[in-house]
Amino acid sequence: MHEASIATELLNIAVQECAKNGYSKIDSIRVIIGRATGVMTDALLFAFNVLKEGTPAEKAHLIIEEIPVRGVCKDCEKEFESNENYIIFECPNCGSFSINLLSGKELNITEMEVSNEN
Amino acid sequence: MKIKVTTKILDANERIAEENKKMFKDLGVYVINLMSSPGAGKTSLLEKTISALKDKIKVGVIEGDITGTNDAERIDRLGVPVVQINTEGACHLDANMINDAAKELPLKEIDLLFIENVGNLVCPAEFKVGEDIKVMILSLTEGDDKPLKYPLMFQESSVLIINKVDLKDLLDVSIDKIKKDAQFLNPKIKIFEVSCKTGQGIEEWTNWLLTNIS
Repeated sequence: MHEASIATELLNIAVQECAKNGYSKIDSIRVIIGRATGVMTDALLFAFNVLKEGTPAEKAHLIIEEIPVRGVCKDCEKEFESNENYIIFECPNCGSFSINLLSGKELNITEMEVSNEN
Repeated sequence: MKIKVTTKILDANERIAEENKKMFKDLGVYVINLMSSPGAGKTSLLEKTISALKDKIKVGVIEGDITGTNDAERIDRLGVPVVQINTEGACHLDANMINDAAKELPLKEIDLLFIENVGNLVCPAEFKVGEDIKVMILSLTEGDDKPLKYPLMFQESSVLIINKVDLKDLLDVSIDKIKKDAQFLNPKIKIFEVSCKTGQGIEEWTNWLLTNIS
């Protein structure tokens, strides 16, 4: 995946939100990342820590919450969950390929902590 | 002070892709995002497809390459409108590049627009550009292990074109395995076997295209 592009986008969004709310400094950014997105959290953290320099997020921590891949089978109607780092193709209960993903594709900012420099 | 945000990080690309899609739909343009590894035959397939269709419908092409205009020149020789995008390093096309390039084309006159993505079996599958469908090519020389090694591309594509089938007796490659694994990843995928060199299978593919875009 494109961890550097993702880090750039997430910094853009965070800096805009911070200014929009009338604050000057970002202390932390919380993101959720589904395991089916293929995003490597170490690479994302690395890119974030390089790119944040010189921005209002310079001192910010990036808090990453990983979301497991969850799905429901259209044939046996059972739900399943996996902590593997990629998408599931097959229902673990009955082997059907007709599955609906319920979670795992998330790539969202959920919350930020901001303050004003004294 | 805590701020609640609910923004998708790749929202910007998805939003522009939706805008592109609406613009194409309003102008009556059917859009295909064509993807494959380097050298699988994207431009060759376009040459064959355009030659077969150009008396029936109006085709346009956006060419995506890291650098150079070789592919756009090949398409230009066929007398159809073409724009070359040079990504200057980026490994895929994104919605914003397509938004800019589309302005250079006479979209009102075009029925079918091909977007030839950068040759890469990984990244292009991650980015929507505003297409109606994704079509991918896998050439036999790449080997029959590719569907399971690059699953996302096969899952995202509506159509798989297996190219260079004229070489099948020379290679240790199983077309059946490619088909089986592609259908395992994506039960709905439509598969064509073609040779852009001999023309085998091209008619079946272009007939399918004509029925699907009208």
